[in-house]
Amino acid sequence: MTYPALEGIGLTRRFGGFIALDSVSIALRPGEIRGLIGPNGAGKSTLMDVLSGRTGKSASGRVSLFGHDITELPARQRRRAGLARSFQKTNIFPDLTVAAQIGLASRAAETNNAAEVIDAMELSALAGQRAADISYGDQRRVDVALALVGRPRVLLLDEPAAGLSMAESLNLALLLRDLAARWQVTVLIVEHDMEVIFSICSHLTVLHLGRILASGPPEEVRAMPEVITAYLGSSAA
Amino acid sequence: MIRIAVFLIAGAAGALLPNLFGSPLLLTLLTQAVISAILATGVGFLVRQNGLVSFGHAGFFGLGAYIVALSATNAWMPIGATLVVAILAPTVLALLLGAAMLRLGGVAFSMLTLAVAQAFYELALRWRSLANGDDGIAAQLPDRILGLDISVFQQAGSMFVVCWIVLVLVLFGLSVLIASPFGTLTLAIRENEERARFIGYGTIVPRAAIYALSAAIAALAGVLFALYNGFVTPNVLYWGLSGEALVMAVVGGTRAVWGPALGALLFFLLKNAAGDLTDHWPAIIGGTLIVVTVLLPRGASGTIAMLMQRMGVRTA
Repeated sequence: MTYPALEGIGLTRRFGGFIALDSVSIALRPGEIRGLIGPNGAGKSTLMDVLSGRTGKSASGRVSLFGHDITELPARQRRRAGLARSFQKTNIFPDLTVAAQIGLASRAAETNNAAEVIDAMELSALAGQRAADISYGDQRRVDVALALVGRPRVLLLDEPAAGLSMAESLNLALLLRDLAARWQVTVLIVEHDMEVIFSICSHLTVLHLGRILASGPPEEVRAMPEVITAYLGSSAA
Repeated sequence: MIRIAVFLIAGAAGALLPNLFGSPLLLTLLTQAVISAILATGVGFLVRQNGLVSFGHAGFFGLGAYIVALSATNAWMPIGATLVVAILAPTVLALLLGAAMLRLGGVAFSMLTLAVAQAFYELALRWRSLANGDDGIAAQLPDRILGLDISVFQQAGSMFVVCWIVLVLVLFGLSVLIASPFGTLTLAIRENEERARFIGYGTIVPRAAIYALSAAIAALAGVLFALYNGFVTPNVLYWGLSGEALVMAVVGGTRAVWGPALGALLFFLLKNAAGDLTDHWPAIIGGTLIVVTVLLPRGASGTIAMLMQRMGVRTA
């Protein structure tokens, strides 16, 4: 029996009376790149937080990684189990050099692939610079690199191309697609840039008001009337 | 190698100082300054590596001093063991306290450090049968300590050299630690604790370890204080001493590991000079603190390091 790479069952997250995530279930096949789209406030980042353990015990439902229940594991143990993530807001160590922070992540992952990740993310020229001194686009790549260290089995990317130019976004997307294929990483990516999403995803899930509105191959999802109405707009059809 | 050479030169240079200064008063002042420099180094190291401000390091300083005085006077254990316990007990206490208090962080952490230290102050003040209250304890120290005559520890000229060597060793040890993977980890946690967790690290234990290490340095200073003065009072546990150490760290700057020690030296020189001018010398210290905070936010060491960096010289 093949288990899903990552599975969330009945995931619910409330903020007071507001239900940000309403009994959402999602399962990622090993090796797939799944796009998670939806309007602002749909619950995409909340779903990423619940899956990655950022919400602690304040969410309900079950999360499993390749069949192993990781619901009770804190974020750092989920990372060690092979579930890594990047963040919507750049989340790096500004005062450390690029090489130092990727090396630090490499030691935590008990692997020695810091140089490989630096090379793969095209950060070699910046390795000795403080992260605070490099461009925003490069900081985004450092953020993703921190998640890629140790070749995680599942990678959650929360708007990795946010704030990047169109060319930078596409470049990053293609880089991620190649790495995911080469390292056999399962990816769940939240992204507003539809060009990025349609260029790398084999499957799309649409969230709306904390619930799954649609799920399927990109061509099918973009043609669904309810998705067009809720998110994509008529020009996407 | 360069680091070792720098510290060896610093150690040797300090050891020669008593030969240059004939004045016993100046040597006494410098010895007190170096003991305070060790305390300030502990406080500054906590700020540097954990990003946290302690208002209670006098607690660990005083605990170390009181353990030496009480144990020596009551013959609880040999002096060698006393010195070890006087440093270890505050360290272990800080590790346990840190594991609980560091979850709060920020102002709450600072207030808790103050509360803990003040609790020890009150204990020393009110538990007369043990600590003799406000009158303090005249420590009955043995004639020889660690193979050296007691006079080595109680005369300013020789004690200055002892304290100076201890300070240089502490700074060397910290500079090695800062350059190690553990130093990088604790800096990373200080900068972005959440991200450190998301790359796979637990954060409480490393932060508590830094807090314990800074407490150990404070306790070491307290031990030297007790050996030098042979007398302790509850003032060594009072928050005012913690505040002074913090002022030294701010004036000296905490980005460089040697900054707080420089701040201690500047503090004592300024205090001495201001004391000659007026009885209201704390106002001059306060004014200096404001000026340094506004004009030199990185402190004296930060300014020196910046100038050295411009000249292409790296600093620890």
